[in-house]
Amino acid sequence: MSKPTDLVQGTLDLLLLKILALEPLHGWAISRRLQIISREVLRVSEGSLYPALHKLEQEGWITAEWKQTENNRRAKFYSLTRLGRKQLELEAANWHVLSSAITRVVRLSEA
Amino acid sequence: MGIERWWFTVPLRLKSILRRRQANLELDEELQFHLDHLIEEGIANGLSPREAREAALRTMGGLEQRKEEMVDTRRVNWLTDFIDDIHYARRSLRRASALTGFVVITLALGIGMTAASFSMVDALIFRPYPVPDHGKVVNLMSTSRDNAYDNFSYREYLDIRDHTNGYDGVIANAVIEPVGFSVDAGTTPRVKGGMMVSGNYFQVLKVKPQFGRGFRSDEDEVPGRDAVVVVGHDCWKREFASNPAVVGSVIRLNGIDFTVIGVAPESFPGMQVFVRPDFFIPLAMARMFATNPNRNFFEDRDDRQLSLKARLKAGTTLQEARSELTVLANDFQREYPKLNRDRGAAVRTQFELRTRGDAVEWKFTVIFSILALGVLLVACTNVAGLLLARAGTRTREIAVRLALGAGRFRLIRMLLTESLILSCLGGLAGIFVGYLAIEFLRAFSIPTSLPITIPFRMDARVLLACLALSVVSAFLCGLAPALQSTRMDLVTGLKTADVDAPGHKRLWGRNLLVVAQVATSLMLLTASFLMMRGFQQSLDAGTDFARAAKDHVLMASFDPRLMQYDAARTQRFFELLTDRVREVPGVQSAGLTQNPPLGLDDFEAIAFVPDGYQMPADRENFTSTMDTVDEGFFETMGIPIMRGRDFLPSDTQDAPRVAVVNEQFAKRYWPGADAVGKRIRLDGPAGTPVEIVGVAQTVKYRNTTDRRTEFVYIPLAQRPVSRMVLLLRAGGEPTQLLEPLKDVVRALDPNMPMVETRTYEDLYRYSAVEGPGVAVKLCGSMGVMALMLAIAGLYGLVAYNVTRRTREIGIRMALGAAPSDVLRLVMGKGLVLVAMGTVIGLAMGVAVERLMNSMLFNSGGLDVLAYALVVPSMFLVTMLAAYVPARRAARIEPTEALRYE
Repeated sequence: MSKPTDLVQGTLDLLLLKILALEPLHGWAISRRLQIISREVLRVSEGSLYPALHKLEQEGWITAEWKQTENNRRAKFYSLTRLGRKQLELEAANWHVLSSAITRVVRLSEA
Repeated sequence: MGIERWWFTVPLRLKSILRRRQANLELDEELQFHLDHLIEEGIANGLSPREAREAALRTMGGLEQRKEEMVDTRRVNWLTDFIDDIHYARRSLRRASALTGFVVITLALGIGMTAASFSMVDALIFRPYPVPDHGKVVNLMSTSRDNAYDNFSYREYLDIRDHTNGYDGVIANAVIEPVGFSVDAGTTPRVKGGMMVSGNYFQVLKVKPQFGRGFRSDEDEVPGRDAVVVVGHDCWKREFASNPAVVGSVIRLNGIDFTVIGVAPESFPGMQVFVRPDFFIPLAMARMFATNPNRNFFEDRDDRQLSLKARLKAGTTLQEARSELTVLANDFQREYPKLNRDRGAAVRTQFELRTRGDAVEWKFTVIFSILALGVLLVACTNVAGLLLARAGTRTREIAVRLALGAGRFRLIRMLLTESLILSCLGGLAGIFVGYLAIEFLRAFSIPTSLPITIPFRMDARVLLACLALSVVSAFLCGLAPALQSTRMDLVTGLKTADVDAPGHKRLWGRNLLVVAQVATSLMLLTASFLMMRGFQQSLDAGTDFARAAKDHVLMASFDPRLMQYDAARTQRFFELLTDRVREVPGVQSAGLTQNPPLGLDDFEAIAFVPDGYQMPADRENFTSTMDTVDEGFFETMGIPIMRGRDFLPSDTQDAPRVAVVNEQFAKRYWPGADAVGKRIRLDGPAGTPVEIVGVAQTVKYRNTTDRRTEFVYIPLAQRPVSRMVLLLRAGGEPTQLLEPLKDVVRALDPNMPMVETRTYEDLYRYSAVEGPGVAVKLCGSMGVMALMLAIAGLYGLVAYNVTRRTREIGIRMALGAAPSDVLRLVMGKGLVLVAMGTVIGLAMGVAVERLMNSMLFNSGGLDVLAYALVVPSMFLVTMLAAYVPARRAARIEPTEALRYE
């Protein structure tokens, strides 16, 4: 397995919000989902994931609920709040601005 | 966004606080769930269960350390930590109960004193008008050269009311005056306080009567037509037994039948600080209060009796209101050049009015508050010193905490919480002390039959002040010790139980405390000493007559208007009265005055031009306070005539006009010349000439703290007045004359009420003994309290410093130092600190003296005696505080000192 790429600072929130926007998930599933969607490029360590989730919850962007999983175990499911949706839009917009700017810089042809 | 966010975050925070265990358990469970999945995944990838478990734990390992961080994201740590700190502080304070007790008492004295003085300042300066939207209510005043706080006349009021646009109404009221009140015509009237107000008074102030209604504006239009009255709430409770049925009934005021139309609500005791009107009467009924038959309240533009208030319109600034009124005042000057010359107008806020330059009460309370804050400061330094000393003995505990990884900030917070609890306890006890002090102030009686209330009280505002003071003092006395005890060298801290790290840095704070304490208490002592001496001096000057009169003079007021006498009949009554009482056995002399010196009423003013005096180009006349007296006044009151003659029975209405002035008056207008025989002209250069026939000694007129003022006496026969005070000088006990006097009055008119019958001693005691006495006592007790606190604190600090050097002293003595060397060493240090404190305290004392002189006494130069007494005694006390422990230290056996830890 190749070394996972370090996340660009501050993008973890965006990724988590985006993933939770699709459907409510528990922490384990979030980390799996991240890996699968990004085709194993992005990997978030547990040491970053849970603090980030807690932060989002404390900000009121996501909310948590204890529910049964398909294996009949109790797990904490996170889902996006209305506030979180707004935050997601904001951060996604920011990301577009930032990434297109970086792309433009990278594509500059050497004179 | 904001509210919605709270919706989510507040329950989370609450949960974190209230269900900390639950939240932590949930976190664990969540992580366990993740761990289980990791293990399952490992097994699925072909690892043995043991290997899978180890691998999973390795991955999760970093997480455990981040748990604390995750708890931090809940952002409630400060609160849960605070609760922990409180528990901790409670335990540790209980262990040191003696210290706790001392600290609480010290702080209670400081906080209580400050709270009491704040209640005074609040009542006299800050407490808002008891009406809705009080910030919009402003005072309109007439201003002249001699009086920046003058009233308006009725005519001027109407003009201002009708020609200004910046207000939602302009109201007027006269001063509260005595009215004779009776339920019906048959009963003898009793004296109550009545106040004339304009018809829109309640409406503009937005005060809704509790029962009945306020005035209609048409009830204040035709002079004398509508005899309606609104009863004050206090009066309603006392006189009408809180009976709502009083509305609609008829009562008698000054012999006129009035219909009660309303009762003022309890929330509205009136707009005045000290007096509460019993009856609100429309201005149109002004004739019942007319004092001077030559004056017409409704027509004379210079009969200025009304104080005006107005409610600013929304959107009108004070500045706009000011310029509008100035324009109007200029119009007045143009239209009535004779009456309104040099007269302006001012709009003042409640605060500006209450802190007027010529009022003594608030200045006193401000000075008193400064002193009280000083006491609080001394109390705080005391407590800081104690906590510092205590922090020293906790060195090892704090070192251990630091070594175990407690943050310095966290420890400071813990120590501050401890002092916060201490000062809150002190604050609670302080509230009690303050309550006692306020009750003491309230108990102070003022000898008048008008309903004067002492407005000082323990209310929510004062309690809030107590709370604020407690928090402030917690920081004042806790911060320095907390900072110092957490700044330490861990290694030495752990090695000894009680270490005084070498170097001067750590001693610096303690030395500073000693200096601050000496300085503050010296300042306080100086201030209170000066205040006592200032009052004493001002009491002694110009009150000789009062001390002589107090045991012999009986006073009684008469107001024949209450019995509907006309002017001629009134004067006849006074003539008969004085003639008859002079024949009563035991009466040495009798006299009449409008208001005796040190009396409770204001003196009237007189405008005049001294004949032959070069008037400044920009003014028409001078004014002076005056009194109307009869020919028996000076003898009875015991005010000597220094030159010229007394008034004589021959100074009648038809005789040439005469006056007696006081020495101050003579000195100001005819310096170096004899005033007797000179003339003044009333009102202006073309006014009635009045010859000065005598010069009386300058005495105190309004207060014993008065500066020397000019004063004019005019004979009653030449200036008829209806309300006069009869003075009787008795050979013996003045109260013996009371019955004979009653007989005389009864023979003249059986219904004539005798108002405010009392001996002059009452008045003297009030204005010269009790009033200033309370002030002197308060200041004295402040000074003594500050000194005692300072001595206790100083002794503790110095003694503590010396005790901590025991080992050093032991070594010095073991190496051959003599006890005297040790004594010199220890004392020397103390003396340097005391000297520094003294110098600073002296500087502050001089500053305070300047302040007090400019505000209260105007005595000029420095009071050398005060310093000569205060400074050495202060020095002596602090020397003693250093000497006793130093001596003890010098006596210690070296072996014992070395073993000491």
